[in-house]
Parts: sequence; structure tokens; C-alpha cells
Amino acid sequence: MNAAVLVIGLNHVTAPVEIREKITFPGDHDGKVTRRIMNIEGVEEAMILSTCNRAEIIAMTDDAKAVAPRIVDSVGEIHGVEPGSIRDYLYIKEGGEAVRHVFRVSASLDSMVLGEPQILGQVKDGYRRAANVHATGPILNRLMHRAFFTAKRVRNETGVGIAAVSVAYVAVELAQKILGDLRDKSVLLIGAGEMAELAARHLVSHVERPLLVVNRTFETACTLAGQFRGSAAAMDRLEDSLAGADVVITSTGSCEALITTQQVKRVMRRRRYRPIFLIDIAIPRDIESGVHDIDGVYLYNIDDLQAVVEENMGERRQEALRAETIVAEEVEKFLNWTRTLDSAPTIIAFREKLEAIRAGELARINGKLAELTPEERDAVEMITRSIINKIAHDPISFLKKYGARSKGNTYLDITQKLFNLNGLTEEYEAKDQESPDT
Amino acid sequence: MDLIFFKIALVLYLGASLGYLAFLLKAGAHEAPLGFWCALSGFAAHTLSILHRAIFSGFFPLATSFDALSFFAWFIVGLFLLVGVRHPSPIFGAIGIPIAACLMLVGTTLSYQIKEPVVPVLRSWWLPIHVVLAIAGNAVFTLTAIGGLMYIVQERLIKTKRIGRFYKLLPSLDTLDAINRQGLPLGFFFLTLGIISGALWAGSVWGFYWSWDPKETWSLITWFVYAVMVHQRVVLGWRGKRAAMLAIVGFCLVMFTFLGVNALLGGHHAFDGSRMGAGRL
Repeated sequence: MNAAVLVIGLNHVTAPVEIREKITFPGDHDGKVTRRIMNIEGVEEAMILSTCNRAEIIAMTDDAKAVAPRIVDSVGEIHGVEPGSIRDYLYIKEGGEAVRHVFRVSASLDSMVLGEPQILGQVKDGYRRAANVHATGPILNRLMHRAFFTAKRVRNETGVGIAAVSVAYVAVELAQKILGDLRDKSVLLIGAGEMAELAARHLVSHVERPLLVVNRTFETACTLAGQFRGSAAAMDRLEDSLAGADVVITSTGSCEALITTQQVKRVMRRRRYRPIFLIDIAIPRDIESGVHDIDGVYLYNIDDLQAVVEENMGERRQEALRAETIVAEEVEKFLNWTRTLDSAPTIIAFREKLEAIRAGELARINGKLAELTPEERDAVEMITRSIINKIAHDPISFLKKYGARSKGNTYLDITQKLFNLNGLTEEYEAKDQESPDT
Repeated sequence: MDLIFFKIALVLYLGASLGYLAFLLKAGAHEAPLGFWCALSGFAAHTLSILHRAIFSGFFPLATSFDALSFFAWFIVGLFLLVGVRHPSPIFGAIGIPIAACLMLVGTTLSYQIKEPVVPVLRSWWLPIHVVLAIAGNAVFTLTAIGGLMYIVQERLIKTKRIGRFYKLLPSLDTLDAINRQGLPLGFFFLTLGIISGALWAGSVWGFYWSWDPKETWSLITWFVYAVMVHQRVVLGWRGKRAAMLAIVGFCLVMFTFLGVNALLGGHHAFDGSRMGAGRL
């Protein structure tokens, strides 16, 4: 009887945000909820993965068909909702499909923002919580280590996570391409607004000089500057501020252009033509488009940045195709390993190993045995065979008896490791181990 | 046998060029280090080749066009690898190494035999000093010109908002401008010393410092052009596109002085050992 991987969950594709907000497995920071899942009849190993875009239970069970509804009911109970009301948003995957799903999630191929790096850490957290409450066993341990390994391969061998895919990151990258090292550059924020503040926040993390904030109302400027630990200036000092800034983010509600071509020409002369990067996030625009034609001035508006994001996203999707092949390879390897978690191949491998040792040792002392008569030789042959049979008897009857029971996988796994049954465990990579408690 | 190191270096540079080419086409992470290590071993072999020739000929081997090209290539490789390490970007190697390999391929078509007997003019310590300075200047100007070219391309890409593969491969405008800012005065320094050392050498063997030989004339023109450029850059604060453009124009002049003058105008810089300086005597 083979235990199979079972995944039950919902994500940004299958469930609307109202549902995702509800199903978050609260209180699992110490693994209490994982423990509760473990107590469901038929669940042998389990872990919970919970992020803002997904909630999943990864479990091992011998009888997925019977266990899945029990888990769904339990999820409903935990969150105080009618199980029927969430069933439509759930996906239930078993066996190879479930393994593939876990690997894809860990490699960030199933993320809302393809290739975003946080998911792997979140998977590791879920695994650690489960390990702390002894909810993991040989299959889940191996599954997770292979998932981490797959994620590592995808990161190293493909460009899935390389290109910047948010407006703020693209703005930082552009600023670096134009101005080089940003540490000694100054950032000027004109106006307020969520997007502008986000971009400013990203930029400021690369900059050592304080941010300068200019706003129509000086009080607002001061409050914002306070948040960023920067300084504030009034709108009538705009030209001076432009002369001193290297990156400018504008996002005011002004109906007409705030920064004119003539103004920037004057500013550039004052700057001695040091390049300046202007980011116009406002709609309607704050900066006249003619500004971009001035030498050394680089004006990008929100649509330009969005276009770069789109292009980078396309690049990631291309790379994701290559990542899928890696995942397919790793799934195949994992499934091959689970097939060995059956008592028969383990017992055969164990016997073969003992027999190989016996035959090898006899061959080694063949010279000394040459003096013996044929009868005596037969006796040696018989006694060695009988020794290994006696040694093998107890372990084999144990494996036959318990190998198929609920803890069987652990025993089979341990047997393979104890006797180094290479044919079965050759891919086992000790370096991937993270020493879980079980 | 005497070119064995030169040939090893050439093969390694060609290998490195292929590695860099694969890097440019694929933008993969693994090809660029391959190119770099290939180029670095090539550079080591190239250094050995120059030492080897110096030991065998008994003096610093810069008396033939072959040696001048080889030494020029050596400088370019060293410079581009150095810059590629300082401003971490494989693009410098990807451009510099193929240029060096081409120069060496041209060199292989030239005779590398040092004409015996070596004319006494060349058996002077002024030879390595003068030639090393001149070639160092040329190599630095090559770097500034390539930097200028990259600047213009990168500037164009950012201005036209084409944020694609090449934009990512090319260094930042700031880095490229810094190469121009540091390269111009450095190259100008070498060029100035090169001209002065040449004049002193001429003075020591012929008794007069300056004779309006075509190479001397063109060097002087080049010197004036660069003097103006350095002035614009340092005093007037020219930068960016304009400075990049000037670096390219200046480089064309340098190349004409370095290669064109010998081919077209002759004079006592013709690297033809037997006739060298004959006109003067």
C-alpha cells in the first residue's frame, strides 16, 4: 500500500479575495492547526501553507478519496464556515499531480507575480511549523527537500526571477542605469499618492541622502518628509529643488503641467548638464513631454514604466517554460523514489545486499578454501548462507508485517538508509537535509 | 617555436570571444565567466610571449609592426579586463577581446622576423619607453572610444524607451561617462609623454628633436585635438553624449596616426628595420 501526496487548497486563481481573506489558518504559528489536521483519521503526515494568495494543506494518506472530504470539513470547522460554501473554490490534487503542484508552488511558478521570491520562504515556514509538531514523516520530508531543491534549480538555471516586474523596481533599475550608484544621489518627491510613495520608498532604500518633499501645501510636505525622514520645501522653491535632485517623482493633482520645458532647460544649465531622471506618475501629467527632448533629461511616465513591466513579465513567462521542464524532471525522480517505498523491493534489495556481501567474502578467501575437500566447501557455503538467513529473518518478517501499516514508510525508509540499499536511495542527497525533528 | 605563446594566447582569445558571443546571444549566466577565464589565461600566455621575445631578441621587441600590434592587443586585453572587473560587466570583455584577437590575426600575416642586423637606432632604451607610452595611449583611447560608442547606444535606448536585452547588457550611463572622464586625461597623458620621449630619442640619435615627419605631424594634430577635448571636459564640463562623440572622433584620428600614416605616408616611423631612419642619415 503506497501512501500518496494529497494537496487541498485554494489560490488567487480559484478563489476571490473575500474567500482568501477568510481561509488563512489563524493560530498556526506554533503548528497547532497542523496538529489538528494530523488528528484527522487517515492523515499520516501534514503541513499547512498559508500566504496572502493561497492556503493549502499538503498531506500524506493511504486513502485520498476518503480523507479529502474529512480535511475539507475540518478546514470549514477551523474557520467557522460551512464546508459546502468553500468546496467550489478548492482544488484537490493527488499523487503525481500533487507533487508537481508542490514543486511549482515552491519554484514560484504558480504565484500571482510569476517568479516572486517570497513564496519559497513561506513554504519553508509552513514546513518548519509542521516539523516542530512532529507532523512530518519520511515522505513529506523528502517531498519538501526535493521542492526546495527544485526551486533552487529553477532560480539558478532559468531567468524566472530576474527581470523587475513592478513599477517601483523598474524605476529603481532605470535610475541605476542612468545615474549609476544611487547612494550619493538625491531624490525629490513632488506631491503625494500611493504609487509615488511606493516608488520613493524603493528609491530611498538605495540612497543615503535624505529625501526632499515638495508639496502645494507645506504641511503635507512636512508630514510626508517626516515619514521618510527627509526634509520638506515649499512649491515656490521648485526650481531650486530640481537643480539639486537627481531623481524626481511627481504625482500631484494639478490640471496643468507643473514642470515646463523652459524651466527644465534653465535647471539643466544650473546643473551643468548633470543627467536627471524624471518619473511622472500623475494623470494628467505633471511634466511637459517636451522635457524628454532636452539633452541629459530622461522623462518616464507611468505608462512607460508599465510597458517595461509588461515586457519583463513576458520575459519571465518565457523562462517559466524552461522551468516547467525542470519541475517535470524532479517530479519524475520523486515519484520513482516513492515507488521504492513498498516492502517488496526493499526486502529484495536487503536480501541481495546480504547475498552480495556473503559471495564477496567467500571469493576473497577462495585461495585458503582450495585446500578443503568438496564436502567441507559445501559446509562453508551452507553455514554462511544460514548465517545471513538468520540475520535477515527478523528484519524481513518485521517489514512484511509493518511495512504496509501506517508507520510503514518510516520503517522502509529507515531500513533503506541503515543498510545503504543503494539501488533504492541513490538520489538521496544528504546535503539537502534540514534535520527535521521526526 | 618562438611564437608558441603568442599562438596559445591567440587561441585562448578566440575561445574567449566565442564564449562572450554565446553570452551576448543567450544572455545566459554561465558563458561570460568562461569567456573571462579564457581571456585571462590568454593574457598570461600573451605576457609570456612578449617576455619570451624580449629574451630571445635581447632587447625589448617592438621593432616590427607585428610586435607593435601584439603589444597593442596586450594592452587592450589588460585594460578591458581591468575595467570589466572594476565596473562588473562582461560587456567590456565581450568587446575588447575580439578586437585584440583581430589585431593579432592581422599581426600573424606580417613578418615577425627582426631584421638583422638591427639598426643601431633601435638598440636604444628610448625604443621601449617611446613605444610603450604611445601604445598605452592608443589603448586607453580605444577604451574611451568604445565606452563612447556604448554610451551613445545606451543613451539612445533609454531615450527611446527601448528597455530590452541590450539595455540590460550595457553598463549605466554614469559608468560609461566615468570611463570617458578618466580615460581622456589618462590617454592624453600617455600621448604627451609619448611625443616628448620620441622627440628626446630623436634628439639623442640625430641631434634634432623635431623634423615634421608625417607621424610626428599627425601626432601633434591628434595631441591638439585631445588637448581641446580634455579642456572641454575638465574646464567647460562637457559630458555625456557630446564627450562620447568627441572620444570617437579623436579615436579615428589616433588610428589614422597609428596605422594609416605608416601605410600611406611613410617617413622614419615605417617599421621597416633596414630603411628605418635611413632618410635621416
